[in-house]
Amino acid sequence: MKILFWLVTALVLFVIVAPLAWIYLTAFKSPNDIFTTEARKLIFFKPTMENFNRLFREFPFWDNFVNTAIISVSSTVVVMVIASFAAYSFARWNTGKGHLLFTTISTRMFPGVVAAIPFFVMYRNLGLLDTRFGLALLHIYFNVSFATFLLYGFFKEIPVELEQAAMVDGYSRVDIFRKIVLPLVRPGLAVTAVFCLVWSWNEFLFSFLFTRVAARPVTVLISSFWGSIEVQYGPMAAGAAIVILPTLVAAWFMQRYIIRGLTFGAVKG
Amino acid sequence: MQTEALSEVQVESTVARKPAIWETLTSEKYFKWTLLIPLLIVLAIFMVYPLLYCAYYSFHQWGMRGEAIYIGAQNYRQLLNDKAFLEALYRTLKVLVICVSCELLIGLGLALLWSREFPGENIVRGLALLPLLVAPLILSLLWNFMFEFDFGAVNLVLQALGLNKVYWWSPERALYTICFITIWQWFPFSTFVLVAGLRSLPRDVFEAAKVDGASPWYTFRRLTLPMLSPLIMIIVVLRTMWLIRLFDPLYGTTRGGVQTELLDWIVYRTAFVYFDIGYGSTMAIFSLVLTIAVCAVMFKILMRALEGAR
Repeated sequence: MKILFWLVTALVLFVIVAPLAWIYLTAFKSPNDIFTTEARKLIFFKPTMENFNRLFREFPFWDNFVNTAIISVSSTVVVMVIASFAAYSFARWNTGKGHLLFTTISTRMFPGVVAAIPFFVMYRNLGLLDTRFGLALLHIYFNVSFATFLLYGFFKEIPVELEQAAMVDGYSRVDIFRKIVLPLVRPGLAVTAVFCLVWSWNEFLFSFLFTRVAARPVTVLISSFWGSIEVQYGPMAAGAAIVILPTLVAAWFMQRYIIRGLTFGAVKG
Repeated sequence: MQTEALSEVQVESTVARKPAIWETLTSEKYFKWTLLIPLLIVLAIFMVYPLLYCAYYSFHQWGMRGEAIYIGAQNYRQLLNDKAFLEALYRTLKVLVICVSCELLIGLGLALLWSREFPGENIVRGLALLPLLVAPLILSLLWNFMFEFDFGAVNLVLQALGLNKVYWWSPERALYTICFITIWQWFPFSTFVLVAGLRSLPRDVFEAAKVDGASPWYTFRRLTLPMLSPLIMIIVVLRTMWLIRLFDPLYGTTRGGVQTELLDWIVYRTAFVYFDIGYGSTMAIFSLVLTIAVCAVMFKILMRALEGAR
């Protein structure tokens, strides 16, 4: 029974981890080892840095990487401000009696293309296409509802009595929010911020539609290696290996919070 | 300590008198709305505006150049007879059913396996949750390569095992291959939601059932499943929300070819490849109404399930 348990567990983990590990294996393979029909070479090969060298030399990898970093960090900062205000209001006063909260969360169900059509036309007229600012705005929109809903759960956990005590002590509403509530939800703020960073880091639809060269995020660069004429598996794997690293690290350290985050705070995993 | 804090606040308020508007905004009555202003602005710009825009152009013929021509409900009439669109709709529902049911079944099985705490649990969970935060686009590119006919790892392994190579991206299989990629990324999600659920179930009920001589299958069917149903509902609702707008895995693999075009992809193709803004808006509005209808029902169920879970 014990053996069966570990056998199944090991098999499941292999199915999950092997493809991810394979990105890292491919990244260090020479083209000959990538385009091989020998099963042995999947694991046994002579490692080379060729793909990384090509990636850095022939493609604007670091420029695009910096774009991704700037866009995700700046949009996350704005999202956290907006969402923490709103989530506190929803959690403490049930503002809008649930309807507003539903409206907020329903933006997350919006097909991205619905927003994309008008904003593409508008951005073209305003000259915002292919700018980091323009893309960051869209990322704010697409993360804000998620962040509000997740933070709502964290704010709900703070006992009202604490705030009432502070009011007796003469704190104003603003002081209570700043000096009492925010420090208490710090773990929640951290978790939410990491999620927003990851979603923005991974976002593809808007990034792909609204950027060309200057503001192009790194996911779009990597997708371009899979062209209709030739496929550059080497640089693709090398780029992917670097780009997914921060998200893998985030997943590992946030493992206690991932389920909570993905269920919008409903299930505390 | 308290008196210090009190005097500090008083000093602050006497030294710098805030303007009247600030007083109003932070007053007991209006503060809750003040906090919502930024969010409402974002929602107005990014939700209301696109909605009105798409609704307006869905009654026009416009290709981004020249004047938009009013054509009444003709776009909608065309949509209901558009074979490609209806097929995309059907395929989306198919993907939805396949992915959600497979993820639930695998998740339930593994959750039962891992329902008791075991040594090394943190490592198992840490590894299992890894794919969830990786960009779906990159994962789809990865699997696209893994499923490649000649050099793909999957076929090489099949060959090494003495089996035949499979053409994974044929028109009959491609949609299922895409489903597989999605299921592979998301089954850890349902697994660990259900693990959390199983661990929060009251022990004594199950012990009582055991004492009464109930069979494991009977206990599972009559006790475990009903108690897990709020969580199963949460999984179904959330996964529906994500799956209905599946786009990235298509871009990384078939790009809507070999009979894999889904709802969001056909809207994208109409609006951004053919630049048919009018007809694209019509499709967008249609898929939006569909999503909202599905999600409004599901949100109600979800809220009821949440009450049950808490």
